[in-house]
Amino acid sequence: MFEGVKDFFSGRGRRLGKLSFTDVLISILGLIAFVIIWHLSVIILNTPYLPYPVEVLDAFFRSFSEIDPITGVTMWKNLEASLNRFLVGFLLAAIVAIPIGLGLGWSKIAETAAKPIIEIFRPIPPLAWAPFFFIVFGAFLGPVLVIFLGVLFPILSNVIFGVKSVDPNLLDAAKTLGAKQTDLFLKVIFPYTVPFLMAGVTIGLGIGWMCIVAAEMIGAEGGGVGLFIQNMNAIGRYPEMFAGMAVVAILGIITVGGARYIEIRLSKWMGVSHK
Amino acid sequence: MSILSISNLVKTFPREKGDDLVAVENFTLEVNKGEFICILGPSGCGKTTILRTIAGLENLTSGEIKVDNRVVTEPGSDRGMVFQEFALFPWRTVRRNIEFGLEIQKLSSEKRREISQTYIDLVGLRGFEDAHPYELSGGMRQRVGIARALANEPAILLMDEPFGALDAQTRNQMQNELLRIWQETKKTIVFITHSVDEAVFLADRIVVLTSRPGTIKSIHNITLPRPRSRASPVFIELRKTILDELDAARST
Ligand SMILES: Nc1ncnc2c1ncn2[C@@H]1O[C@H](COP(=O)(O)OP(=O)(O)OP(=O)(O)O)[C@@H](O)[C@H]1O
Ligand SMILES: [Mg+2]
Repeated sequence: MFEGVKDFFSGRGRRLGKLSFTDVLISILGLIAFVIIWHLSVIILNTPYLPYPVEVLDAFFRSFSEIDPITGVTMWKNLEASLNRFLVGFLLAAIVAIPIGLGLGWSKIAETAAKPIIEIFRPIPPLAWAPFFFIVFGAFLGPVLVIFLGVLFPILSNVIFGVKSVDPNLLDAAKTLGAKQTDLFLKVIFPYTVPFLMAGVTIGLGIGWMCIVAAEMIGAEGGGVGLFIQNMNAIGRYPEMFAGMAVVAILGIITVGGARYIEIRLSKWMGVSHK
Repeated sequence: MSILSISNLVKTFPREKGDDLVAVENFTLEVNKGEFICILGPSGCGKTTILRTIAGLENLTSGEIKVDNRVVTEPGSDRGMVFQEFALFPWRTVRRNIEFGLEIQKLSSEKRREISQTYIDLVGLRGFEDAHPYELSGGMRQRVGIARALANEPAILLMDEPFGALDAQTRNQMQNELLRIWQETKKTIVFITHSVDEAVFLADRIVVLTSRPGTIKSIHNITLPRPRSRASPVFIELRKTILDELDAARST
């Protein structure tokens, strides 16, 4: 989980965004092979539950203009609803996890006190909370809190780990240059932790995105991609159901790509790797 | 005139079980203003501990350290430190590494720039102001380390095996550079090394320590004029004498 961070500081980063023409070609061939296998599977399996790729593609495009018979909204509305939940839950988690992580990483006493609590809650799948959150906090905040939990722990544990792995030589160097506690925190510990934080954010994004779809399937109102998948399944419109899954995949790729982009920008700002 | 005075320094570290580990015992030394002192000693004899205590990074167990007649209790801008592993901030450019202490002093950015440029020029890093540490060679990194310590204008420069991580050729080059910088800035330098050769080449005075617990075994005044030739008979003789002493210290 942290292997990237070492490269980060030594400046030996992974090369991102530098695909050669042949790489792209091979990837496209792989995708084409996948679609062919899918198409053949439909013929061989011959079940109404698995639609042809073209049917899914058609349903995918139609879903953005047609309203679906159950919620009465288009895919745009579903997307908006899911993204809203996602953003609120994600930001909430970051706002809570970063300062707490910095504090727990810095203070041995605080960490010892918090550790049992964290260890009790961490193994519980965020989704297990969904019914409870839905009943207590309602249709919006319920799923948001599921995402919040999913994102919270990866960020929290990465930030704690980051603070703990601060090079003691750097702290000593800063002290001999006149740094006091606040300077140490702002000018050494926090910058040192940023790549760890970003690694946590990238993991959190992936988990958060999975949480949102599943949470919406357990309980949500007013649209959502998860809800859409659930509804299409209920009325037996399988091409639409798969189209919903495709939307989830695309959004996942976009969010993780966004996180990567931020990671690159940040590492440039910090002057390490990704030149 | 004495600028640094260490009297009866004792430093112990608590151990998991048994008695405390005595790292330094009864270390007493007066260092004159502008002097270049080298401390030599077997591995693990407490050299780093002495330097860190002078820097204020470590509390002493007993004894007293005074700089300019003020008792040392914590790190201070009168003492700068240069680390063996460079300890540069990887996310800061050369310039911003050098300006670290100046930022903490809350100097204006113009003033910081003026001072950092002076020291960038002094250590020969002009043209590399905006490079990051990972883009520099070991020798250049340590130049940044030296400039960063000097930018705070300390009276005393503490150096813990600063060239220990460099290859032999770069090391010799850096020794010459350091002598030039020392002569230009007139700093007092306390320099720790494993290398007798390095000590004889650099120092006004060499302090040889016993093996742990570190205490002074002997002090050598090196009156050889600079620039010193490693091939001169006096140099070779001095090196041999001190090497023999160290061997004796190691085997006891
Ligand atoms: N923070 C510490 N806690 C416990 N023991 C320590 C600590 N720092 C140093 N020591 C011990 O004190 C002794 C002296 O260590 P020190 O690092 O000062 O030696 P040194 O002369 O610098 O060695 P080297 O030549 O290997 O750099 C060693 O036995 C070391 O294990
Ligand atoms: Mg040492």
